[in-house]
Amino acid sequence: MNRRHFVIASSMAFLGSCGKSQKMRLALNWKPDPQFGGFYAAPYQEHGLDVEILPGGAGTPTIQMVGAGSAEFGVVSADELVVARSHGNDVVALFAVFQTNPQGIMVHASRNLRSLSDVLQSGGTLALQRGLPYARLLEKKYGFSKVKVVPSPGGDISAFLADKNFAQQCFIMSEPLTARHMGADVQVFPVAEIGYNPYTTVLATSGDFLRKDLERAQAMVAAVREGWRRYVDNAEPVNQRMNKMNPSMPLDVFAEVASAQKSLIETDETRRNGLGSMTNERWQTLIAQLRDLGDIPKSLSADECFRTLSAAPL
Amino acid sequence: VSARRLRAVIPALIPLVVVTAIAELAARYGLVKGYLVPAPSAVLRAMIESRGELAGALLTTSASALTGFLLSTIIGIGIAVFLSSSRAIQRAFYPYAVFFQTVPIIAIAPLLVIWFGYGSRTVIASAFVVSIFPVIANTLSGILSTEPALRDLFRLYGASTPVTLWKLRFPSALPQILTGLRVASGLAVIGAIVGEFIGGQGLGSVVDVARTQQRVDKVFAAVLLASVLGLALFGLINLLSYATLRRWHQSEQQ
Repeated sequence: MNRRHFVIASSMAFLGSCGKSQKMRLALNWKPDPQFGGFYAAPYQEHGLDVEILPGGAGTPTIQMVGAGSAEFGVVSADELVVARSHGNDVVALFAVFQTNPQGIMVHASRNLRSLSDVLQSGGTLALQRGLPYARLLEKKYGFSKVKVVPSPGGDISAFLADKNFAQQCFIMSEPLTARHMGADVQVFPVAEIGYNPYTTVLATSGDFLRKDLERAQAMVAAVREGWRRYVDNAEPVNQRMNKMNPSMPLDVFAEVASAQKSLIETDETRRNGLGSMTNERWQTLIAQLRDLGDIPKSLSADECFRTLSAAPL
Repeated sequence: VSARRLRAVIPALIPLVVVTAIAELAARYGLVKGYLVPAPSAVLRAMIESRGELAGALLTTSASALTGFLLSTIIGIGIAVFLSSSRAIQRAFYPYAVFFQTVPIIAIAPLLVIWFGYGSRTVIASAFVVSIFPVIANTLSGILSTEPALRDLFRLYGASTPVTLWKLRFPSALPQILTGLRVASGLAVIGAIVGEFIGGQGLGSVVDVARTQQRVDKVFAAVLLASVLGLALFGLINLLSYATLRRWHQSEQQ
C-alpha cells in the first residue's frame, strides 16, 4: 500500500467510525439467563445501534473490560463500580436492572433459622466469597467465630445438598430454585435485609465513551429500557432464544426465574421514574457503606458514579 | 560474597532490573492502567502493607505444595518402577497415568472438596494430581533407557531384579528423574494455589479475595510470592541434583 492509499484508507476508516452502524459490544458476566433477558430483548436496530452481546463466565472482568475499552458496555454491580472508580477506573452506571439486591444466603429449612444473625451464630459451614463487601459486612456485624467460612463453589450446589448444616451464598432466584428442583427444602435470607442493597446487573460504560459518543449511549439506554419492558411483560420469546444459547438451563426454569425476578426489577421507584432508574441517595448510602468497610480508600461523590440519560417513564 | 558468585548471579538480575524499571515507568507515565497492571512500586507497597497476612499465606501454601510434591515424588517413582516391570503392565496402565496430565482440576474441584473436606487436604490433593505425571513419565523413560551393555553385565553376574533396579537402573535414571521433579515442582505450586481457590487458605485465598476487591497490586504481590516459592523448590532440586550427580554426570560437571 503506498502512502496515498494509506491516507485514503485511514480517512475512510475514520469516517466509517463516525457512522451510526459501528458495532458496539456489551459484555455480560455470566451465560445468557433471565438476569440478562432485557438485554437480549432490546430492539437495538430500531435505535440505530449494532450491538454484539458477549456472554461471560465466572470471573469475567467486565468492569476492567469497560475501563480498558475492550467492550463499550458491560454488566457490573454497583459496589464493584464504586470500588473500580476508587482505583481510577472511570466507569459510569447508566441503567440498573435489579433495584433490590438479589444476593442472599441459602440454608436448609430444617435448621429452623430465622435471620442472617442466626445463620452466623448457629455453627455449620458457610460458603462465601470473602472478598465481597457484604461478606465483610456480615463478618463485622455478626462475626465468623461460630461458623466455618469456606470458599464459594460458584453455582455448584453439590456440597449444599450433601450437608444439612451447609449454608451458601446465592442469587435468590438462582441456586435456591435449582436446590428445590433437586428436592432440598431451602430457606433464603436476602442480604438486602441487613441494609446492604446496591443496584446489581447494572449497565455501565466508560466516562471516555460518554464524552465521545453521548448520543449513542443515550440510544443504548433507551433500547435497553425498552428491552426490559418487553421482557418483564412477556419473557417467553426471549427465553426460547436464550435457552438455545444456554441449554443447560431448562426452559421451565427460565420462565420460573423470569417471573420470580419481576418484583426486584419493577418497583414503585421505577414506576415513577422508569425502569433502570437510579437515585443519588442509594449511591450515597452504598459509598458510605463501602467506605466504612474499608473497601475504598477515599469517599467519592455519588454523582460521578451514575448518569441519567433519559428520564422517560416506560 | 566472592567475585565468582557475583558473576553467577548478575546475569539473572539484569532482566529483573530492566523489566521492573520498564514496568514502573510505563505505570508512572500512564501507558498501562494501574487497575489492569499495577506498578512494581504499588506491588511492593501492598507486600509491605499486608506482610503478616502474606507471610502466613505463603507458609500455608508452601506446606501444602511441598507435601503434594513429596507425595507425587514418592508415589510417582513407585508407579514408574511398577510400570517398568513389564511391557504388558505398561500397555495396560500407562494410558491411565496420562489421565493425571489432562484432568482439568477445576472440573473435579467440587469432588475433591467432598472427598477431602475444606482446607489443606484438598489443597495437597490438588497439588499432587497436577504434579505426578511428569515424575511418572520421566522416571519411566529413565529406567527404560538403561545402557544395554551394563544390563548384560548385571545379568552375567547373576544380579537379582531388585538389585539391578537399585544399583543400576535407578542411578542411571536419576538425571531424568530430577528433570521430572523440576517440572513437577512448579506444577505443585500451581496445583496448590488452584486447590486453595476451592479449598480455602493460603496464597490462593489471598488472590481470590484480592481479585474480588479489585486489588490488582495485592494479587500481583501474592503471585510474586508464589513464584518465589516455585523458585525455592526448583533450587532445592538443583541442590539435590548437584549432590547426587556431580561425581559422575555431565550435567553437573561444568
